[in-house]
Amino acid sequence: MKDTLVLDKVEKRYGDFVALEPTDLTIGAGEFITLLGPSGSGKTTILMSIAGFVSPSRGRILLDGRDVTALPPERRNFGVVFQGYALFPHLTVFDNVAFPLRARGITGEAARPKVLAALEMAKLQTFAHRYPRQLSGGQQQRVALARSLVFSPELLLLDEPLSALDRALRKEFQTEFKSIHREVGTTFIYVTHDQEEALTMSDRIVILDRGRILQIAPPSELYERPATEFVAGFLGKSNFLRGRTASASQGQVELHMPGFVSTAAENGVAPRVGAPAVAALRPEKIRLAQPRDRAGASACQVRGRVSDVTYLGASVEVELKLEDGESLLAAVPAGQRSFVEGEEMVASWGSDAAILVRPSEASS
Amino acid sequence: MASPGTSPNGPGVSLKRIVAWLAAAFLLLPVLVVIPISLTPERYLSLPTNTISLRHYESLVTDGRWSKSIADSLIVGLGATVLATGLGVAFAVGAWRLGVPLARRLRLLLLAPIIVPPIVHAVAFYRAWATLGLLDTYLGLILIHAMKGLPFVVLTVAGTLANVDPRLEQAARSLGANARQAMGWVILPQIRAGIVAGAAFAFITSWDETIVALFVTSRAVTTLPRRIWEGLADNIDPAIAALGTVMIVLTFIVVAITTARSASAKA
Repeated sequence: MKDTLVLDKVEKRYGDFVALEPTDLTIGAGEFITLLGPSGSGKTTILMSIAGFVSPSRGRILLDGRDVTALPPERRNFGVVFQGYALFPHLTVFDNVAFPLRARGITGEAARPKVLAALEMAKLQTFAHRYPRQLSGGQQQRVALARSLVFSPELLLLDEPLSALDRALRKEFQTEFKSIHREVGTTFIYVTHDQEEALTMSDRIVILDRGRILQIAPPSELYERPATEFVAGFLGKSNFLRGRTASASQGQVELHMPGFVSTAAENGVAPRVGAPAVAALRPEKIRLAQPRDRAGASACQVRGRVSDVTYLGASVEVELKLEDGESLLAAVPAGQRSFVEGEEMVASWGSDAAILVRPSEASS
Repeated sequence: MASPGTSPNGPGVSLKRIVAWLAAAFLLLPVLVVIPISLTPERYLSLPTNTISLRHYESLVTDGRWSKSIADSLIVGLGATVLATGLGVAFAVGAWRLGVPLARRLRLLLLAPIIVPPIVHAVAFYRAWATLGLLDTYLGLILIHAMKGLPFVVLTVAGTLANVDPRLEQAARSLGANARQAMGWVILPQIRAGIVAGAAFAFITSWDETIVALFVTSRAVTTLPRRIWEGLADNIDPAIAALGTVMIVLTFIVVAITTARSASAKA
C-alpha cells in the first residue's frame, strides 16, 4: 500500500494532563478508518495532530515515509471537515469551494471546472450562488465536503461531521460518505462517538478510551471479538459474566459464576485456572424458554425472572433477574411469544457465545 | 393605565409619545440652538433679531486660524485613527487567537486610558513629552490620541471576534491558506464592522479631545477644540456656532447615509 500515514509513538501532554498516551497507528492508502471513543478519549487529539493544529509533545507523524510532524497545516494538503462545518460566512457556496484553489494560486477560469465538478459531486449545482446562512444543515455539510475534496487532498479528516444533523439525515450521509469514499479513493479518517456511524462506514475502527487505543479491528471483528470489557460495552450492548475459571482446553475455558456455569472462548485472554475472569455475552445470542420446555436445553443456562420488557420493533429486549441478584439482558426476535413480568424463564446460549475479555481497570 | 394590548391610538400610547418627544427635545434642542446663533449678523454670541447673515460661515473659510485648526484636527485625528486601529486590531486578534488568561488580563490593562482621569493623563503626558521633546508636535499629539482611542478599537473588535468561530481560521489553514492569507481572506472580513466602528470611535475621541491638547500643544499644533477654547476665552466669536452647525449637518448626513445603506442591505 502506498501513501501510508504512520503515527510513531505520538504523545500529547498539557502540563500534567495526558491527552494522548504514546500511540502507534498505521493507516493504509484509501482506507476508511474511524476513531471511536467517548469524549476525552483522545480521538480528536489524534485527528488534530494529523491535521497539524495540535503539535505532539513527542513522536512523529509520517506520510509515505516523509516526516510531516513539523509541517504547518496549510502545507500538509489534508482536507478537514470540521464539526459545525466552519464555512466562510462572507463567501458564496462557489467561493467557499474555490477557496482552497485560490490559496494554491488557481483562480478564475482555471478554477471553474474543478469547482463545478466538486459541486456536482456534492449535488450542490443549484446552490452555487447562495451564502452558507441560506442553506440547511445538510446542504452546509455538503459544501464542507466539496470544499475539502476539491483540491484532491492526500487524506480527508472528518471531525464528528454529523453530530449536528437529525437522525434521518445522518443515515443518508453515512451512505453518501461511503459512496464518495469509493468514488474518490482518498483515505478517510473519521472521528465520532457514535458507534452506529463507526460500524456502518468503516473498514477499520480504532477504539479509544482515556487517551489510549484499546483495539483496532474491522467492525465485525470488533463486535464479535471485543478485546476488553470497555470495548464490548461501548460497541453495542453486552452482558458481563463475572466468575472464576475452572478449566481450559482448546481455546475454551469453563467459567463458574455464583449460580451457574458457562463456557467461554479464550479470545487471547489466558487466565490462570481458578483466577477471576470476565466474559462478554451479547444479548442476541441468548435464547429464552419456559422451565418446563426442555427442547432448548444447553450446557450454558441460567434461570431468572422477567423484570423488564422493551419492545424495539424487530426484536424484544427482556431483562431477567437472576437468583444471585445480577441481571441478564436477552434480545429475542419479536412476535414469537409474549413475556410477562415476574414470569420464570430459562436463558441459554451456545458454548461459543460468551467470550473472555480483559476486565477494565477499576475506575477510581 | 394602558396595558400593552391597547390600540395604537389609545391614551396610553399618546402619553408615551409625548414623553418620547419630550426626551428627544431635551436631547436635541440645546444642540440645535447653535443654528440660529450661527446666523447672527453681530460680532458676539447672540440670536439674530432683524436680519440674518452668513458672515461667520465666511470667516470659517477665510480666517486662516480656523482653516488651520480644521486641518490640524484632521491630521491628528486621521493619524491617531490609523495608529489606534492598526494596533487595536492586531492586539484583539492576537488575544482572540491565543485565548489564554494572560491575554484577557492584558485587555483590562489596555482599558486604562478610559479609566484614568484625563487631567491626570494630561499632567503625566506634559512631563514625559517635555523630556522627549514631543511637546507641540503632531507626532506627540497623535501618539497620545492613538493611546486614548486604542481601548475603543480593542473593545469593538474583541466584541465582533467573540462571535467568530475559531475553527474558521483552522479551516482556512487546512485548505491551504497561510497564516497571513487566513487573516486577510477570512478573519478580517468577519470583523470589518467592528473595525470600522472602532476606527470611528478612535477618530471621534481625537476630534473631541481638549484637555490633553491644551497641555501638550501651543502654537505649532492647534486642534479645533483648542481653537474653540481659545476663541471662547478671548472673545465670544459666533464662528464657533457656525462651526457647530457645519458639524451637526455633516453628522446628520453621515448617519442618514449609513442608515439608508444598512436598510437597503437588509431588504
